Amino acid sequence: MVDRESAADIDAAAARWVVRADRDGDDPGFQAELEAWLAADRRRSGAYARAQAGWKHLDRSSVLAPTVSGGSRLRRRSIIAGLGAMAAGVTAAVVVPRLLVRRYGTTLGEIRRVPMADGSVAAINTDSEVEVSLRPRLRAVRLARGEAWFEVAKDPVRPFVVESGPVRVRAVGTAFSVRRREGGSDVLVTEGVVEVWTRDGGAPPRRVSAGERVFAENDAGVLTPPKADADLGRQLAWRDGQIVLDGQTLAEAAAEFNRYNDRKIEVADARLADKRFVGWFRINDPEGFAQAAASTFHGQITQREDAIILRTASGS
Amino acid sequence: MEGRARVTIWLGRHILPHEADLRAWLKQSFANAGDVDDIIQETYCRLAALTQIDHIEHPRSYFFQAARSVALEQLRRARVVRIETVSEMESLNLILDDPSAERVVSGRRELERVRGLIAALPDRCRRIIEMRKIEGLPQREIARRLGVTENIVENESVRGLRAILAAITEQDAPARAKRPRVSSDGRSRKRR
Repeated sequence: MVDRESAADIDAAAARWVVRADRDGDDPGFQAELEAWLAADRRRSGAYARAQAGWKHLDRSSVLAPTVSGGSRLRRRSIIAGLGAMAAGVTAAVVVPRLLVRRYGTTLGEIRRVPMADGSVAAINTDSEVEVSLRPRLRAVRLARGEAWFEVAKDPVRPFVVESGPVRVRAVGTAFSVRRREGGSDVLVTEGVVEVWTRDGGAPPRRVSAGERVFAENDAGVLTPPKADADLGRQLAWRDGQIVLDGQTLAEAAAEFNRYNDRKIEVADARLADKRFVGWFRINDPEGFAQAAASTFHGQITQREDAIILRTASGS
Repeated sequence: MEGRARVTIWLGRHILPHEADLRAWLKQSFANAGDVDDIIQETYCRLAALTQIDHIEHPRSYFFQAARSVALEQLRRARVVRIETVSEMESLNLILDDPSAERVVSGRRELERVRGLIAALPDRCRRIIEMRKIEGLPQREIARRLGVTENIVENESVRGLRAILAAITEQDAPARAKRPRVSSDGRSRKRR
């Protein structure tokens, strides 16, 4: 009789399959091999799912990437250099590059930092979907849903264009964020200059410079001029997993937390909803925010499974 | 996002961190049910087959209940007479009554823990995991930078993944992995 494969051996093999899948996952030959391995024993599917969950979980470590702990870390410049060298290597080997469209999604509360092959970096906010296709003459990014911030590597011959519904944002080398909203898109520029226009619109592109924001309406007929905003850093604090409040109303603050958490904050009375608040919170700590707000404004908190309800304390 | 990818992320965030507790409970409650490792693998197999996770409000309880039914099936199959039924159900209720446990996995602390686990890996292994998971570099590029073969990068990645899985679930990694012991608070004690 053949010895039954031990659970430890299965775990070890599963870890290897997961690492290999990360590299060869799209290869049909590899897929077939993996499926054959999985099919031979139910425990293998379990071990594979577990190892894959662990591997994927490590991506969480990149959320706060700029402050990586531990000894030697690369600065972004060297990453760009490295990726550039790699791209050069690929060309030299006369490999015909496939036209790759890569899709990146985030679930509620998840924030991802994605380095792109051209040296640009995207930070993708909660519950969002982004498609990136790097073509020889165009770097095209489609924001299907949600919000993302881009730090664009300079490449004058290859413009970087974000498509957000009918709204277009074009950059050469700059940093900016785009958020899809009802009726249009918010564009915040933190470095350089971008051009914003609407598909099918006759109007010329509007230039938006560093420190400015614009709300670009989906309806091409409406023109809202860009305006200076000294507050962009605060609004982009999500890149570091933070919500920073500087005089926002509790209603606005609650809406901000609710973008990231299943457990929604409800501000139950209007008096409280209009109160303005200052503070620094983690995006996934609505409880901490609710407690701070309640103790500041004599509120009381009711905790429910799916909600945190904030109301004025009875008797005050 | 695609359903499978969501389930994988959900497993990592909401299930994996409870595995250590589940193992401890299984060991104590189902001493006769056979190998705890087998029960765990079978349980993951079932969870991975889920297509919907939105309805699962308490992943920890769900995980325990799923493992319990796997263990019970194995007992039935082995025709072992069970005398521990009552105590096992009581202890399950006790474990699942702890409301703080469900939230263990949320928050910055958990992010820092993942960081800590990576930081505690042996040097080359840590470097490779960082390049791959934090900087997002492909295997070939990592090999080129470190001046090693892709094979080594793959082996080190596997080793890192196994050490981290063992640390998250607080198990002793197999001796042959030769890694520093990573304790649950993310610090490492080097064995010499």
